[in-house]
Amino acid sequence: MVMDRDDIFSKIQEVLDDALGVDEDEVTPDASLVADLGAESIDFLDIIFRIEKAFDVKISQGELFPDNLADNADWVADGKLTDVGLEMLKGRMAHVDFESFENSDRSISKLADSITVNSLVTFVELKLAA
Amino acid sequence: MRWLWIDKIIDHVPNKRLVAIKNVSLAEEHLHDYIVDGQVIMPASLLIEGMAQTAGILVGTTSRFKEKVILAKITKATFDSDVTAGDTVRYDATIDRLDEAGAATSGTVDKRVAGGDAWERIGRVELMFSHIDNNMAGRAFPKHNFVFSDNFKMILKTAGLADLACTDDDF
Amino acid sequence: MKFDLVDQVLEQEDGRIVTIKQVTLAEEYLADHFPGFPILPGVLMLEAMVQAASKLLAAKGQRLVLGEVKAVKYGAMVRPGDTLRVEVTAGATKDDGSTPCKGKGTVLRRDSEETDTAVAGRFSMRPARIE
Repeated sequence: MVMDRDDIFSKIQEVLDDALGVDEDEVTPDASLVADLGAESIDFLDIIFRIEKAFDVKISQGELFPDNLADNADWVADGKLTDVGLEMLKGRMAHVDFESFENSDRSISKLADSITVNSLVTFVELKLAA
Repeated sequence: MRWLWIDKIIDHVPNKRLVAIKNVSLAEEHLHDYIVDGQVIMPASLLIEGMAQTAGILVGTTSRFKEKVILAKITKATFDSDVTAGDTVRYDATIDRLDEAGAATSGTVDKRVAGGDAWERIGRVELMFSHIDNNMAGRAFPKHNFVFSDNFKMILKTAGLADLACTDDDF
Repeated sequence: MKFDLVDQVLEQEDGRIVTIKQVTLAEEYLADHFPGFPILPGVLMLEAMVQAASKLLAAKGQRLVLGEVKAVKYGAMVRPGDTLRVEVTAGATKDDGSTPCKGKGTVLRRDSEETDTAVAGRFSMRPARIE
């Protein structure tokens, strides 16, 4: 499937409109799924199903959104992401921009805020190019 | 008011599809509080519950009712026309996705008017269910599966599907 | 038992209404939902928002019905003794006669200052359609 970034963005807007009940004009590239669009864990599942259907791709658990981080003591200490953890995430989640998270207190509860609409668009771009 | 919004299961494809019907009768008190232009109307929220019970039982059968399954999200529901006393409603639910966290289902709602033969499509409902023991860590729930009660057991038994339930008394 | 899910209107203005619904063991359906673990059914939280919207939008005595639901999510549980505080805002009515609404329900508990969200999402109200 050959799609340019704009086509992908447009489809992601529809996915988020359906999954989160937000209007397409609220779905801006920098909008954070959790902080701006009110997404919760039940919504992440819904978003994954819809992206799979919309772009005809298969997404495995933990591929789009990091999971089970807290289980690993190398990655999370005192509720915060360690340097090792951050490097691991940057490698595994090339679609997410961790810059502001890196410069914050790195509290694990804020990690999901880094996932923006752009993260989803980049994820699909990388998936389709693979 | 009881909280049973389906009357009978009429079709079942294991782990995939469940079809149930509900008769709408003036004997139901709540209808008398929902009158528009002189006609009683079955509230659409209760049509959604009918679908939730149909889909919920279907999802429950996949774990033989070991998992407590509750409604987490109404992803989308549309109703193009309304239901009144004398109608029969048919819920046709399918599992779209199922894993340890929960399930996603979609389904159609049809109605057949009193004395009529044909089913008319009146709506679509997409739902998401959560397996609560997995997803609500730290909250205290009774150990037994309170979600699937004797009422549902009876409906399954009438449909010849009693073997889908757990054989022990936890159900 | 009556099917009335608005116990009181706390605030009402153009396009916005705030209502409450008390949850009490006197409500019969709680015996079935669930036996030994009574909680307000999710669709009744939706119905509370729908009835609040109907009060806001319909002329006195008239009733609009629920036509569409979009991404209504459930969170905290609402138990006997709790109060569900419902807030609904309505947009402009469209040409097809439907009115888009946004609703949220929070749980108010006697013994706590905290308010958790029990339900939130969008829905659309319309005139009834019976042939």
